[in-house]
Amino acid sequence: MTEETPTQDVFDIESEEASSGGFSVFFKGLYAQFLGFFRWPNLRRGLIQVGWAIMSIILAVFATSLIMLATGYDPFIAFRTLAFGAASQADLIFWYGTPLIFTGLSVALAFQAGLFNIGAEGQLYMGSMAATIVGFMILLPPVIHPFLALLIGFLVGGLWALIPGLLKAYRGAHEVVTTMMMTFIAVLLTQWLSAGPLQEPGQVQPQAQTPLIFLTAEIAKMFGSSFLNWGFVIGILTVIGVWILLRNTVLGYEMRAVGKNETAAQAAGINPKKMIVISLFISGCLAGLAGAVEILGYYHRFRDGWSAGIGFDGITVAVLGANNPIGVLLGAIFFGFLRAGAIPMQTLGGVPAEMVDVIQGLVVLFVAAPKLVQWLARKGIGWAKWIVEEPIRTVPIFLGSIFALIGGISSLAIGANMVGALVQAGLIGDIFTLILTDPFIAMYVGIATLAVIIGVISLLAFYGLMTTQKLSSIALLPAAIIWIIIGYVTMVLLGGTMLIPLSVFGVLGIIFSIWSFILLYRQGVTFVEVKTDAN
Amino acid sequence: MQIDPATLILFGWILNSTLQVGTPLVLAGLGGMFSERSGIVNIALEGIMLMGAFAAVAVTYFTDNPWIGVLGAVISGLLLAAIHAIVCVKLKGNHIVSGTGILLFAAGFTTLMLFVIWGTRGTSPGVTALPEIYLPGIGFLSPLIFITFALIPICWFVLYRTPFGLRLRAAGEDPSTLDTAGISVERYRIYGVLLSGMFAAVGGAQMSIGFGSWFGKGMTSGAGFIALAAMIFGNWNPIGILIAGLFFGFTTGLNYALQIAPGFEWLIGVGNFIQMIPYVAVILALGIIRRSVPPKAIAIPYIKEKEI
Repeated sequence: MTEETPTQDVFDIESEEASSGGFSVFFKGLYAQFLGFFRWPNLRRGLIQVGWAIMSIILAVFATSLIMLATGYDPFIAFRTLAFGAASQADLIFWYGTPLIFTGLSVALAFQAGLFNIGAEGQLYMGSMAATIVGFMILLPPVIHPFLALLIGFLVGGLWALIPGLLKAYRGAHEVVTTMMMTFIAVLLTQWLSAGPLQEPGQVQPQAQTPLIFLTAEIAKMFGSSFLNWGFVIGILTVIGVWILLRNTVLGYEMRAVGKNETAAQAAGINPKKMIVISLFISGCLAGLAGAVEILGYYHRFRDGWSAGIGFDGITVAVLGANNPIGVLLGAIFFGFLRAGAIPMQTLGGVPAEMVDVIQGLVVLFVAAPKLVQWLARKGIGWAKWIVEEPIRTVPIFLGSIFALIGGISSLAIGANMVGALVQAGLIGDIFTLILTDPFIAMYVGIATLAVIIGVISLLAFYGLMTTQKLSSIALLPAAIIWIIIGYVTMVLLGGTMLIPLSVFGVLGIIFSIWSFILLYRQGVTFVEVKTDAN
Repeated sequence: MQIDPATLILFGWILNSTLQVGTPLVLAGLGGMFSERSGIVNIALEGIMLMGAFAAVAVTYFTDNPWIGVLGAVISGLLLAAIHAIVCVKLKGNHIVSGTGILLFAAGFTTLMLFVIWGTRGTSPGVTALPEIYLPGIGFLSPLIFITFALIPICWFVLYRTPFGLRLRAAGEDPSTLDTAGISVERYRIYGVLLSGMFAAVGGAQMSIGFGSWFGKGMTSGAGFIALAAMIFGNWNPIGILIAGLFFGFTTGLNYALQIAPGFEWLIGVGNFIQMIPYVAVILALGIIRRSVPPKAIAIPYIKEKEI
């Protein structure tokens, strides 16, 4: 079967070859795909996507830092405990990431077909319940048992998404609403099952959980971890499977064609209705598999409300991974990292674990606006124009301005805190006489004033760097040095905890101010007219 | 004919909870209507409702005046809607993705602020609720219910009988014609999203300080999505949305009433199935009864032919 490709850039030669049929052609296509992956245009496209995802994460971390500063938490301690906490229990990262791989793939695959499966959570619940039923009701030999349970979970999840798929294809019911409704129904149904007919004998009414599955049905743990199981490997295999399905099969090609342009696909002889049903079915299957793997690998029984939003996090993972299977894998591991670090951040850093949810939401918001920089460039913002033209050289200036902003706000906050302490002690009334008589107070007031002044200068440097004014990089350098001094002196005087964040911001500020100084003076910034694509 | 007083009380109880639970759905549905009529899908309704519910409680907690709380909810809703408007209208981002981002952000942010302000993880302390109005036979009702009923004809009039409404609808149906007439499509789409933010946030305030007096983590629990369904069910029309929203409120009210009413004890075991009624009804309504016809240009960013 040969089609006229409706759009050129996404459908490359390899997929067309693959869709021309034949078994050897399929493998030839797969091999060409593999080679093509390392070809420069493809690699460049991938790198740009990864770059944008990383940029969104940085922006989200930055915005979260501001929220933390505003709510009285120390962003540096928060992110340090988050990162070290997650790194010290690496198996948790992959364990949290495992179900997100499946739900992320589920949402991503539906997105590729132009559908938004917001109800992965419900399909996951149904899949996990089905796998549990196979796990504790049927006796089978070890290898066959989990395999059958996974298969049943996979299919039941798919069937749960099949209803919205049919309604979408043949009745025009919007899948966002119907899959959401199916999720509510699934949650209520599984709750009823686990509290009623399938409740573990001897449990009192409110405890809604089924009996444990048989040992033969369990998926073994990996590397002696008490969390991480071979489900992670199944996840990676699924990533490869979805990749092949989307890129190297006729079905995947037709799904993507419908997602790109339904009318053009129809003109090329593809049945869009059929593709909608099949895409949502496979999407549901993947979400069901997520539930089955989690039950067989870790929970070993269905307990009401066990998932707590894994299906919804799949949306975020898919968005972060740009609906690309490998991107989804990386996104899932990143989210696993956040989740693994959330608890240490709370217990060691004293920052509520919910901060992680804020980061997640912000990441999606930033990913949602890939034209942000272009738009700012069109609005005449200097750095944005420059980033569009010369991304590599402008990043140091951009980062420098970010550090100027954070350092500026921090030192303003310190100044405000110190003045606030004076007001609270009732010393503000006769402050001038006190300065003259008490050297400690004089020093104290001096530092507070310095902190405020440096804060203002840093904010000006931030603005200056954003508009690429040469002077601002010079202004940032002394400001950064004084941040460190202020951090040190306040620690000695007041025992504050701002030393470490301020010195880190200070050192980075020094590096970036010198770097951007060199860049700004050597190159003689002249903005080229930015090409704006209207599409 | 003799009517059993117990039945009468039960009837009043169901009516009361229908109105109390249905009003947020109607309000958020009206918001969704303005947004979708202008061509922007607003899946963030749920998040905006949650934020509105939280802002209402937080502002009331600090000012001790629930009406200022409602104002705070409106402002918070406007802010979130403004983000959605910038991403969707100005940056031409994906509406669904932006909405999901706002949804997740609102869920995380409200939980976080719950902890920051009150140091609790589940629910906030009680605050002053809106002054309730007594209707004989139905009982105490939140004033927002009456405001909602007053808003229905106003919304209808604005949408169908004013130039503003005509332009809003044109932005969603046929933006290029509106543009040809010399009127900014982007501006009317932004108006639509901002209106949706206001309405949804007031709906959230009704949930938190209307029929309760506290905020709970994730307390909207899908009301925004049911409101979206009510909007589609109500055919993007204020009167239809009123009927659909109240119908969904009725099923929830029925569930509450049956669980406490004498003679219905056996229903507790199948309470889950009664709770499913609105969801099943939505699916049946969308899938079987009739095809819904959304605004034509919905979810399509409007881009002028030449844009520098």
